[in-house]
Amino acid sequence: MTKEESSAKLTKLSSEHWFTSPTARALGALTIVFCLGLLFNADAAFYKWGTHRDMLRAVSVYGILSCGMTLVIISGGIDLSVASILALTAVSFSLFTIHKGISTPIAILACLVIGALCGMFSGAVIARFRIQPFIATLAMMVFARGMAKWVSGGQKISTAVQQSDGTYKYVNVPQIFNFINSKVLGDNITVVTLIFVVCLIISWILLVKLRYGRYLYAIGGNEEAARLSGVPVGWTKILAYGMSGLFCAVAGMCQAAQELQGDPEAGMSYELSAIAMVVIGGTSLQGGRGGIWLTLIGVLTIGYLEKILSINAVGEDKRLMLTAAIIIAAVLLQKGKK
Amino acid sequence: MATCILKGENMKGTLSLLIITLLAGFIALTGCSKKPADKEDKGTKAKWTIGISQCNLGEPYRVQMNADIKSAADKHPEIKVVYKDAQNDTLKQRSQMEEFISAGVNLIIISPKEAAPLTPVVAQAYQKGIPVIVLDRRVLGDQYTCFIGADNKKIGESAGKWIVEKLGGKGKVVELKGLMTTPPAQERHSGFLQGIKDANGIEIIFEADMKWLEPDARKEMESALARFDKIDLVYAHNDPGAHGAFLAAQAAGREKNIIFVGIDALLQEGQAYVKQGIIQASFEYPTGGKKAIELGLDILNGKKVEKEVTLSSRVFTKDNIDSGGQLLKD
Amino acid sequence: MIDQQANNSQLLKMTGICKSFSGVRVLTDVQFELRAGEVHVLAGENGAGKSTLIKILAGVHTDYEGQIFLNSQPVRFASIHDAADSGISVIHQELSLVPSMTIAENIFLGREKCRGLWLNKKEMIAESRKLLAETGLDIDVTQNLGSYPLSIQQMVEICKALAFDCRIIVMDEPTSALTDVEVEKLFTIVGKLKKSGCGIIYISHKMEEIYRIADRITVLRDGQFVGTAAAEELDRGKMVKWMVGRELNQQFPRHKSAPGQARLKVTSFTLPDPAGKPMPAVNDVSFSVRSGEILGIAGLQGSGNSELLNGIFGTYGSSAHGSCELDSRPYKPTTPANAISRGISLLTNDRKANGLVLGMNIVHNVTLAALKKFSPLGWLKPNSENKAAAKQKEALNLKATSLKMPVDSLSGGNQQKIVMAKWIETSPKVFLLDEPTRGVDVGAKHEIYELMNKWTSDGLAIILITSEMPELLAMSDRIIVMHRGSITAEFDSEQATQEKILHAAMGVQTN
Repeated sequence: MTKEESSAKLTKLSSEHWFTSPTARALGALTIVFCLGLLFNADAAFYKWGTHRDMLRAVSVYGILSCGMTLVIISGGIDLSVASILALTAVSFSLFTIHKGISTPIAILACLVIGALCGMFSGAVIARFRIQPFIATLAMMVFARGMAKWVSGGQKISTAVQQSDGTYKYVNVPQIFNFINSKVLGDNITVVTLIFVVCLIISWILLVKLRYGRYLYAIGGNEEAARLSGVPVGWTKILAYGMSGLFCAVAGMCQAAQELQGDPEAGMSYELSAIAMVVIGGTSLQGGRGGIWLTLIGVLTIGYLEKILSINAVGEDKRLMLTAAIIIAAVLLQKGKK
Repeated sequence: MATCILKGENMKGTLSLLIITLLAGFIALTGCSKKPADKEDKGTKAKWTIGISQCNLGEPYRVQMNADIKSAADKHPEIKVVYKDAQNDTLKQRSQMEEFISAGVNLIIISPKEAAPLTPVVAQAYQKGIPVIVLDRRVLGDQYTCFIGADNKKIGESAGKWIVEKLGGKGKVVELKGLMTTPPAQERHSGFLQGIKDANGIEIIFEADMKWLEPDARKEMESALARFDKIDLVYAHNDPGAHGAFLAAQAAGREKNIIFVGIDALLQEGQAYVKQGIIQASFEYPTGGKKAIELGLDILNGKKVEKEVTLSSRVFTKDNIDSGGQLLKD
Repeated sequence: MIDQQANNSQLLKMTGICKSFSGVRVLTDVQFELRAGEVHVLAGENGAGKSTLIKILAGVHTDYEGQIFLNSQPVRFASIHDAADSGISVIHQELSLVPSMTIAENIFLGREKCRGLWLNKKEMIAESRKLLAETGLDIDVTQNLGSYPLSIQQMVEICKALAFDCRIIVMDEPTSALTDVEVEKLFTIVGKLKKSGCGIIYISHKMEEIYRIADRITVLRDGQFVGTAAAEELDRGKMVKWMVGRELNQQFPRHKSAPGQARLKVTSFTLPDPAGKPMPAVNDVSFSVRSGEILGIAGLQGSGNSELLNGIFGTYGSSAHGSCELDSRPYKPTTPANAISRGISLLTNDRKANGLVLGMNIVHNVTLAALKKFSPLGWLKPNSENKAAAKQKEALNLKATSLKMPVDSLSGGNQQKIVMAKWIETSPKVFLLDEPTRGVDVGAKHEIYELMNKWTSDGLAIILITSEMPELLAMSDRIIVMHRGSITAEFDSEQATQEKILHAAMGVQTN
């Protein structure tokens, strides 16, 4: 048997067995968590649809961040600034709509631009000046957080507007906030979750349907080979981080709407959760592999885990240890591939 | 294949240095708060200078504290107030204290980040003859003029008693706790338990650590709502927590059947929520800013003050919100 | 002139050395002998086995057949440290120094002088100064190495080797980054070493240098020992014949086609060294290649032929000087993307490092360089991609069960074909091939030669770099030879012989 024939046989074997594919492995972790929920269902709370709907609501903001994070990680980079850009846009969105009364479409557009600009700045620094993504986005993380505090004056921007004499005037919650907070389809799903789904679909189109996505995978897989094959490495990277910033802006607006305020301290440590969700889903931190549906599985895995721990009122200490254990288990499950 | 171009290497070095410098500059600038409470007060007519050492201005509570100090101080043209923000850095706060000492201020009001590391510098000021008022958080020992603070345990206990009365001695309660590794959360919890200990009908059916954060409180409340069909009251260790619980209940359509109780009662937060009917009661955790200026003036005018001053707290409910709340009895 | 050896005692003897890598024989029954006080040049083409032999001596490869005798004692090194402790010091082509440490620290790297637990910095600094002074260098040993130019760094590498009692010193192309003045300094050091009784194994591709410095010369060819002789008894012609004198009995399917117009014309092409060496990698090179023609560029390691192709392709950006013309229109290398759009393709010599994206499947690798063709308005058309890949699979006789297989599971020959398919999809006018049959089995090699025939008959212009002399002679229509960045000879394929090419590759200027 020649080398070709034997390696072909091996590949045929592994592709025939779907069980070794990354999707299957990710689903494995999710199934384990789901079964935990069935077992520890907290007086049947796990069987109520409301629990699942609420879990989706709570995890959607993280999920939106994970969409951008997936793009960046596939390109071989990382984005530590997602939480800070979320805070910056949450504060800006509240400022525009609550305090300044700017019309909703313009406010949304302005926030999207803010997020995209922050992301593209990181991307430019990484692409043109060859600075490590970790360092560049760490710097943006600090910078955007500082901007959020500066823009908001260090206070939460809420419907209580401080007047010049120190008293507070109470304005109405903007329509857009109420809309984002509402439930649709017969109260069965929140608008935030739908926004998350839209972000997933956009990411899918980018990664799978567009030439741009192929470029991302090529750069993550072998940047030098991509460059020598004519892939525009610089622009692709800038766009990847720009898209991440854009998703952060969406997440920030949803966060503000859900809290009914723009909190400059919002989103602390969300970036770690986003990275964890992407990694547990099976997208490799080295780049060049993975996909958005894997990230969705990772998001659901962590979302369900948190919910199950919450409805069972598990103490904080045990929660941290259990979450860490599940993360390690999920990553070990990934390890089996060749 | 070598891909870096020689020219590019040098450019990269200079430009990244530039970026880092810009960043550093920006961080430094944003560090200096630009809130009105931080500008130096009026001119040379002031007789006395008071130094305010605040451990951080990230918590809205402390922003309120400084604002209270300012509005109290504005009424007294004979004092000039200088504000320093340590940005939650113990060593920074220590050097800011040393700056006050060498500048020879007439009085220091300090809200320290931590007790032990700041005790020596407070003692240093005290022994040099500068009166020191310690506000809200303690230092160790007794080398200071006076301590002003609220009692979290008492507040928790008052909340518990209020809840017992409101529920008529029996009901199912959800407790949403602050970060339980911090003393305020621990005291608000133990005080609460003390307050309800005689009421056998009060049952804590669900408790969770929401770490003082509103989104976390909302998530925990959702779980409680999913699990329990009947919840009578939610006791949250701070107002944002109560607000988050309210939003969760509102989304489930159950907010009208639940009573929400929070702590802090900041004007634009807890008091606003009470006014808007979002929460039914908020227990004030007073900043003590006004009291600090009052006692400071007493000290500067030569009067003797108590070593330990416990601030009284108020409870705000819908009926008394417009009249400034109701003082809690000891 | 170099002094004659002081005494005749034998320092080193290697006999019956055999080595294989993954079943491929690299050294067969090689012998080598070194006397004290002599400079013994080890010569051979690329791939002759010199590096492997040296690595065995240095303790890098511990798995080999044969015997090594050090001062008539049989030895077998278990590691590099073992070899170093036995007095063998190797000065590699790639410097083994740390730019961020000082010169003194570098010289004593790994063998620091200590007083108990503490580093004896004073002693190391004094010692380093002394060593450098002996080479005629008077520089500050407390400065970081990286702040000095590459030639100084190479001298420090040499001093590092001299800092310890070594009896055998191996120098692998030590003059490649040195100026003439420094080369003289090096030869002076070599003279001193000889006097002190060291034996020096010297690898060089430069004819002049070999005959200047060698006492004896050993030639390897295709992993086999050909002969050893005293330098004055071995004339250049004979040495070259030893290096290339193989039977040219392989069949090469080269059909010559009538060449057409000049496709690519390069004038006074100069490229600064990408690694920062003071000498340019390519120095004032001019040539042209016509459609339907295969131009072979011969050269040994360090000749700059690979850098030339990459420079034309834009790998190094626009740092090159000189002018190029593509189909009579001016062309300036700026980026690979630009080259591709102008119809130039480059098959690199390391497909795993920069030719393929190993994690992707066959289809995606094949369409990568021409992706715009398969994605109108940015929207991918997987059907057209699959069709194109299937066509290529047929045309190139790819052996793979499915096009969705990841490429890292394929053999070397198939992988190389995939890279070629990738470039063919871009419809190139000029195809630059850098070692196209490296690591490819015999069957696939022949298929690749047939492909080259087809391409030229379709009108492509091909530039071919290959270390395999027979392949070069058979497939090229014209051959130019490069040595250290310059062209030393040009031949038509009928005039060229292995000897002539090797002469030119070793620096002897012809034409």
